[in-house]
Amino acid sequence: MATYQEFIQQNEDRDGVRCSWNLWPSSRLEATRLVVPVSCLYTPLKERPDLPPVQYEPVLCSRANCKAVLNPLCQVDFRAKIWACNFCFQRNSFPPSYAGISEVNQPAELMPQFSTIEYIVQRGPPTPLIFLYVVDTCLEEEDLQALKESLQMSLSLLPPNALVGLITFGRMIQIHELSCEGIAKSYVFRGTKELTPKQIQEMLGLMKPATSGQQGKPLAPHDAAAASCIFLQPVQAVDMNLTDLLGELQRDPWPVPQGKRPLRSTGIALSIAIGLLEGTFPNTGARVMLFTGGPPTQGPGMVVGDELKTPIRSWHDIQKDNARHLKKATKYYEALANRAAVNGHSVDIYACALDQTGLLEMKCLSNLTGGHIVMGDSFNTSLFKQTFQRVFSKDYNGEFRMAFGGTLEVKTSRELKISGAIGPCVSLNTKGPCVSDNEMGVGGTCQWKICSLTPATTLAMYFEVVNQHNAPVPQGGRGAVQFVTQYQHSNTQRRIRVTTIARNWADAQSQIQHIESSFDQEASAVLMARLGVFRAFSEEGPDVLRWLDRQLIRLCQKFGQFNKDDQNSFRLSESLSLYPQFMFHLRRSPFLQVFNNSPDESSYYRHHFVRQDLTQSLIMIQPILYSYSFYGPPEPVLLDSSSILPDRILLMDTFFQLVIYHGETIAQWRKAGYQEMAEYENFKQLLQAPLDDAQEILQTRFPMPRYIDTEHGGSQARFLLSKVNPSQTHNNLYAWGQESGAPILTDDVSLQVFMDHLKKLAVSSAA
Amino acid sequence: MARYGMQRSALTHNVAFCAGNQEHGWNDPPQFSYGSQKDSGGPKRNILNKRVHAPQFTGSGAEMPSPSVAMPTPPRGMNPPPMDSITPPSVCPKTPSDGKMETEPSFEDVQEPLYGALNACRHTVKKQICDDVERRLKLFEDMWKSGKLSHLVKHRMHRLSQDLKRKNWDAADEIHRGLMVDHVAEVSQWMVGVKRLIAEARSLNPEQNICTDPGS
Repeated sequence: MATYQEFIQQNEDRDGVRCSWNLWPSSRLEATRLVVPVSCLYTPLKERPDLPPVQYEPVLCSRANCKAVLNPLCQVDFRAKIWACNFCFQRNSFPPSYAGISEVNQPAELMPQFSTIEYIVQRGPPTPLIFLYVVDTCLEEEDLQALKESLQMSLSLLPPNALVGLITFGRMIQIHELSCEGIAKSYVFRGTKELTPKQIQEMLGLMKPATSGQQGKPLAPHDAAAASCIFLQPVQAVDMNLTDLLGELQRDPWPVPQGKRPLRSTGIALSIAIGLLEGTFPNTGARVMLFTGGPPTQGPGMVVGDELKTPIRSWHDIQKDNARHLKKATKYYEALANRAAVNGHSVDIYACALDQTGLLEMKCLSNLTGGHIVMGDSFNTSLFKQTFQRVFSKDYNGEFRMAFGGTLEVKTSRELKISGAIGPCVSLNTKGPCVSDNEMGVGGTCQWKICSLTPATTLAMYFEVVNQHNAPVPQGGRGAVQFVTQYQHSNTQRRIRVTTIARNWADAQSQIQHIESSFDQEASAVLMARLGVFRAFSEEGPDVLRWLDRQLIRLCQKFGQFNKDDQNSFRLSESLSLYPQFMFHLRRSPFLQVFNNSPDESSYYRHHFVRQDLTQSLIMIQPILYSYSFYGPPEPVLLDSSSILPDRILLMDTFFQLVIYHGETIAQWRKAGYQEMAEYENFKQLLQAPLDDAQEILQTRFPMPRYIDTEHGGSQARFLLSKVNPSQTHNNLYAWGQESGAPILTDDVSLQVFMDHLKKLAVSSAA
Repeated sequence: MARYGMQRSALTHNVAFCAGNQEHGWNDPPQFSYGSQKDSGGPKRNILNKRVHAPQFTGSGAEMPSPSVAMPTPPRGMNPPPMDSITPPSVCPKTPSDGKMETEPSFEDVQEPLYGALNACRHTVKKQICDDVERRLKLFEDMWKSGKLSHLVKHRMHRLSQDLKRKNWDAADEIHRGLMVDHVAEVSQWMVGVKRLIAEARSLNPEQNICTDPGS
């Protein structure tokens, strides 16, 4: 419906929120019957160039277990200078500084256009950001050289007063003292011995020495900061020495015998990094950046042994329970990840190798802390170099697009509770009246920690309607949710972003059509997809697909218009018509299909999927396809084999890849060189057009996508062929008569077959 | 093929970049210059954002799959592409504005403001740091004189030194960053000295922060 489309778009632009339903069912029973839960995607730090932050503290409700922030939904008595909290109905007095407010002189936070507002607050002295590089030296010479150059380059991109540190590792781990003068010193640790945080801190001189009989006590914060000085120094003070130090880094000196992998002690290296930060700068924004060129092969957290003849685990191995190190390594990294998260520190993993590097085991380090995972073939590629540069990209204000130490708190009006969140966060285990007992995603809490955020970071939040069936529709008619995100801005200011949204309640018995027309199928597809991916972490693949299918069938049964057992009569209204298609593509996507991907690749794709905003997530589910031809301007086309034609160029964006595919005739013309001839200028322009359109994506997306230029018959064409709906296969090629489009050699069901089955199941009275 | 296409794009869009590393990374994307990746703050074009959806439930009742675009396919034989009947637009590439066509700057021109700034710092900044900066400036000189630096680096360093002379700290800093990102292999050993020089000179003259157009 046109009006809901506008409403949805306006709300997304203003608040960074997309809800599955924009009219909420007024009872729990009805909410469960809607199949897709009441839920939303929320981008806490959505870029808002038009929203200047205010420089005062937010006004809070005085009730101890509420503390909601003053917002446009609150009723205000301007004469008595009193406001009523819309969540708990407590009456609060305005603070003295608000004495001058009136109907015509309202503070920003009461105005509807400021349903999302940002506060700059003072919370103690500003603390610098910290970047701790953890660098694998078991790389090929060329690779190491490229990595060294990228690290040297990054010193120019860091905020000048940031603190920087360097740990290098291979068989042993070296933590380098950074000083402005004198001889470079480092502390060396063995890669096999697991150390407790206390031991690490003691060995690095971060503890007061134990006096007789007493345990070593951690240093007081300012002493610890002084002691850590040697390992973490301001960039502007040590950049020259650190540049030289990086330039002189050598490959790990331990020789690697024939048939063996290098001994890489990644587990201990990370433990030292996290332990160092824990002991010196807890609760400050910090990034541990791991650069690794292969799997951990030694010490705790090892993923594979050093014998090359034992390959690193595949999905097949995992399914057959044949992955020796998997459980232990995963547990080890999870413990490290939780320690980092507790301290507000994030971990990035930059893994560049032709074989797997252990992302499956290590992914929690980034997933729980909001850190990045970048996966490439070598550090000597533009994919790594430019993606890494973009970590330090700046926005329209010249400020870094990274934020630290985020905590997100959610408040709901009485009729709603929060079931959980899915995204790059950890639970803070905060109980409260808003917390539901039914968990979805990371639940059992109303507060989460997101140690590192970007303007694109998006969380999925799931709610439960708790009103009893047949209870009257709540007074005031609207349910409300407030998101309060506290974080450290990259310029070290502490800020609070508050978003307050409301949606009308509707009685599902009498207003089902209205509720249906308020359905946001794009948001719902992503919200259900995240639930599916979350399940995939702990359930078997086929079970997840069955669950997804069941939800789809139930949704079609609820909202489809049909005559019982008459498949051909099945219709879905416009607000739902695209949803089955999204589900079809989701089922085939690498997020739920592990076939044809390594465990590391699956982990990588899923990592990005559960944190991107709606538009990018949808691209991942159902890639965009554009067609270029002589017959008109570029146009979007069906993601279908029938779109593959000899005289077209196709541009496909899957988020992870940009594929430019030249149809058979185009490829022949290109090979013959027509684009070089003056009379065929238009052909040259045709070849150029998709490249121009792809440029903006290539120049801005994080991570940078792979770029595939291919043609009919090319081996790389498989990237396109595996994504399009195989409406024509070797099975049905002759059944359709006139050949148009390219048949795909697959036994996968096509969208048509999928839809037929879906309709059949939805209309069946036996269901 | 990709390389060819990308070079054309570089000319028409004045975006200096090269193809990605095809040897070590399959499907490596092309490399863009630092300047072209910055957010200018304008509205995102976001041109590739539309989908066509399979018309499954529009009520037509048809069981046929979504129709493909009903365009005639050209004959399978190797006929040439359709010729443009109108004269093609002129495609003279835009002259790059960073002075590639100009003669190379002299090293003395570049050196003078750098050493000028260094000497100004000697009174307040520690000797060791000044010596370190000087060592790197000498390395820069060696590389320049032995032909190890490309045209582009020399021109940009010339602009940087002019900005340094005029006390345009932000502009100089931006050029240093651009050089580190785009030409790290050539500059990494000595550029950090220039970076430190800009920072120290800036702290001596904090009020002078006019950011004029680097090209002026």
